[in-house]
Amino acid sequence: MSLKVDTGFIKKIKKYGAFDISACFNCGNCTAVCSLSKEDASFPRKMIRLAQIGAEAEISSSLEPWLCTYCGECSTTCPRQAYPGEFMMSLRRFLISKYDVTKISSFFYKFPFIQNILALLVFIVSLGAFISYHGDFAVLSQKIEVIFPFYISLALLSYIFIMYKRVIFDKYKKVLVSFKMKTILPTITQILKQIMFAGCTELDLWRGMAHVLVMSGYLLTLVISVFHILEPLTIHYNWLSLQSFLVFYSTGAIVLGGLSMMARRTIKKSPSSMFSHSSDWLFVLTIFLIGFSLLITHLANIVMGPQAHGVEMLYKINVAIEVAWILIIVPFTKWIHLFFRPIAIYLQHLKEERDLV
Amino acid sequence: MTQITNNITDVLVIGSGIAGLQSALDIGDSGYNVTIIEKSPSTGGKMISLSKVFPTLDCASCITTPKMAAVLHHPKVKTMTYTEVKAIRKISDGFEVDVEKKPRYVIEEECISCKKCEEACPVYLDDEFEYGLGVKKAISIPFTNAIPQLPVLTESKCIRCGACAKACPKDCIDFLQEPVSMTIKAKAIIAATGYEIVPMGTKKEYSGDTLLNVISSLQSERLLAPHGPYGKVLRPSDGKIPDNIAYVQCASSRDKSIDVPYCSRVCCMYAIKQAMLLAGALPLAEITIYYMDIRAFGKGYEQFYAQARAMGICFVKAKVAKISEDTEHNPILRIDRQEDGSKPQDQTHDLVILSQGILPTRKDFFGLDVALNEYGFIQSAAPTLSPALTNIDGFFVCGVARGPKDIPDTIMEAGSAAMEAVNYIKGKM
Repeated sequence: MSLKVDTGFIKKIKKYGAFDISACFNCGNCTAVCSLSKEDASFPRKMIRLAQIGAEAEISSSLEPWLCTYCGECSTTCPRQAYPGEFMMSLRRFLISKYDVTKISSFFYKFPFIQNILALLVFIVSLGAFISYHGDFAVLSQKIEVIFPFYISLALLSYIFIMYKRVIFDKYKKVLVSFKMKTILPTITQILKQIMFAGCTELDLWRGMAHVLVMSGYLLTLVISVFHILEPLTIHYNWLSLQSFLVFYSTGAIVLGGLSMMARRTIKKSPSSMFSHSSDWLFVLTIFLIGFSLLITHLANIVMGPQAHGVEMLYKINVAIEVAWILIIVPFTKWIHLFFRPIAIYLQHLKEERDLV
Repeated sequence: MTQITNNITDVLVIGSGIAGLQSALDIGDSGYNVTIIEKSPSTGGKMISLSKVFPTLDCASCITTPKMAAVLHHPKVKTMTYTEVKAIRKISDGFEVDVEKKPRYVIEEECISCKKCEEACPVYLDDEFEYGLGVKKAISIPFTNAIPQLPVLTESKCIRCGACAKACPKDCIDFLQEPVSMTIKAKAIIAATGYEIVPMGTKKEYSGDTLLNVISSLQSERLLAPHGPYGKVLRPSDGKIPDNIAYVQCASSRDKSIDVPYCSRVCCMYAIKQAMLLAGALPLAEITIYYMDIRAFGKGYEQFYAQARAMGICFVKAKVAKISEDTEHNPILRIDRQEDGSKPQDQTHDLVILSQGILPTRKDFFGLDVALNEYGFIQSAAPTLSPALTNIDGFFVCGVARGPKDIPDTIMEAGSAAMEAVNYIKGKM
C-alpha cells in the first residue's frame, strides 16, 4: 500500500492537545516501558510514527488510543520530553472527532471557548425557560429525562457504527462478531482493570480511586435519571430511604472524585494531570456541578419537603445543568470514553481472534 | 600543617589525563616551566585505565605511559600528584593557586618502589582503579604502570598493624605525615579537568547500581584490559564467562529525563571497540549493541563500524526502557523491536554494559568565575576560532573539560591550549 507522507498532519493533530511530537526520535522507550503495550497492539511509538508521516487513515482506524490508560510512565521516562502519554490522550480527542459525522466535536476541540460559551448559554436559556414555566415541573422534568437517553444513544450509535466500519469492516471487508468466551471474558476483566488503571506498573491509588468514584457515581446518577427514580418535587424523602442512599452514594462519589480530579489538574504533579485541555476542565467541572446540585436538591427535599419553593428552584438548576451537559458536553468530550474503551477492547480481541485464523 | 609559598611557575596545568600531559609536554618543549597538579596518586587520568583505543585498536597504555614518563623526566615540568587545588585567585600578573598535598604516609624521596609494604599489608580494599571490580591493599601502588611508582596508604582503612613499616627496607613509612598546603604563582592556567561518567544509578529504570551483572563501560574497559582485574572477561555475580553480552547505548546521554540531554560523543565508538575486543576474547559469545543511532563521525570511524557488523556483532535499533534480572542474575532488557513494525520484547543476556555518558568533573572552578555552558562544561570564549580561550584572561581549557570528545580531538585541543598559553605568556613579557 502506498502512502503519501503528509508532514502537515502533526500541525493538524496538535490542535487536539498541547504537546510536540516532532521532538520524538523514535527510540521506542515509550513502547517498551508501557505495561499495556503488546506485540499485536503496540503503542505509543507506532502511533507517533504514524502521525509524523501523516498516516491519517491508519490512525483513524486504530484502537490503541483507547487501550492506553495514561499512567504517564512513557512521558516521565521519555528521553526527548515529547510526552507520548499526552499524545495518546490527544489522539483520543482526534478519534472522537473522526467518529463524529457532524464534525461538531472537531470544531469544539479546536475552538474550546465556543463549547464553554454554548454550554453556559444552554444552561441559562433552559434555566430561564424552566423558571418561566408555570406548569408542573415534575412532569416536564420527567419528559426531559426521557429524551436524554435517546439523544445520547443516537450520537453513540453513529460513533460506534463509524468506529466499527473503520476498524473492522474496512479492514476485513465483512461484518465480524464474536460471542466466544475467550473474547468476551478478557474484555470484561480488562474493563474492570482499566477502571482502576490496574494495568499500569505503578498503581496510582489516588487517581484510581477518583476515577472509580466519579465513574460509579455518575453511572448511578444516570440510572437514577433514566429510570426516573427520583421525584424531588412530589415525594418527601427521609434520610434513610433507599433513594436517599442511592443519591448520597452517587453524589458523594461524584463530589469527592470530582474535587480530587480538579485538585490533581491544579497541582499538575503526575503526568496524566499535567496538561489539561479546556474540554477536560469543562468535563470535570460540569460533572462535579451535577453531583453537587443533585445533592443539595435532595438535602433540601429531606429538610424542607417537596413543596418548598427552594427545592423546586434547586431542582430546576440541576436539570438545567443536565441539559447543557447532555446537549453540549456528553457527545463531544471524553465522557464517551465510557463506551469507547469497552468497545475498543472488545474489537481488539475480535481482531486478534480474526488474525489468528 | 606546613605552609610553603614562593612557588613560581609559568603555566599551571590542572589535571594529568591525556589532555594535561600533552599540554604540559608541549609547553615544556617550548622552554617554559610547567607545574601539573593531579588529585590522584598517579598521572594518566582516565586514559591509562582504558584497554585499547578506537578506531586503530592501539593499546591505550602504550600511548599514555610514555607520555607519563616523559612528563616525569622533563626538566621543565614539575608534577605534583595526590595534590588538590583548593582556591584560585586572579592577580595582576597571573594567578595565585592554593593547593594541598595529601599525605601518602610514605617518604617519597626515600621510597624505592619495591612493593614490600604492599606484600606485607593484610588489609584488602575495593580498587577504584578497577572501578570496584578488583581489590588492592590498604597500602599499595595505585596500579601496575602508575607514575610515580609510589605507594599510598589509605589512612581510613589502615589497621595500624605496622606490617608495612617492618617490611620496608628503606624505613620510609611515616604514619605521622600531614597535608601540606602551598601557594603557587602562575602566569597562566590550563584546565584539563576531564570528566566523570554518569553515576550508575542515575536512570532508575536501569537499576545500574543494584543489578550485579550490569556494569559500566569503564568497568568493561578494565575487564578487557591486558592487566585487568581478572585477566579475562568474567561476569561479576558468579565469575562465569559470559556467552551473551549486550551494550545499552545512550544509557545516560541524550536523555532529558535524567538531565543529560547532550550526546557524549564517544559511547558509540567505544562500545563498538569493546564489542570487537570481546569478539576477540570470547569468539563464541553473542554480542548485541542496542542503539538509538550510531554516530561514527571521525576519521575511519564508519569503516570501524562496518567492520564490527562484518564481524557478526549484532546491532539492534532500540532504546532499552527497563532492566530487570532473573533468578540467576541474568539481566533482562525491555525494548521495542522496530524491525517490521513495533514489538515490545524482553531480551535476556549474561552481562550488560551500560554506555554511561559523560559529566563535567567540576561545576565550580575554585572560586574563579569561569563561564560554563548550559551543561556545566567550560564555555569556550571563541569556540570556532580559538577553542582554548575562556572568559578569563590567561585561563585556558582543553579536552573533555570543555565538552565530550574523543582522544584524538583531546590531544589536538591540548596542543592548541599549550600554544595559546605560551603566546599569552610571551605577550606579557
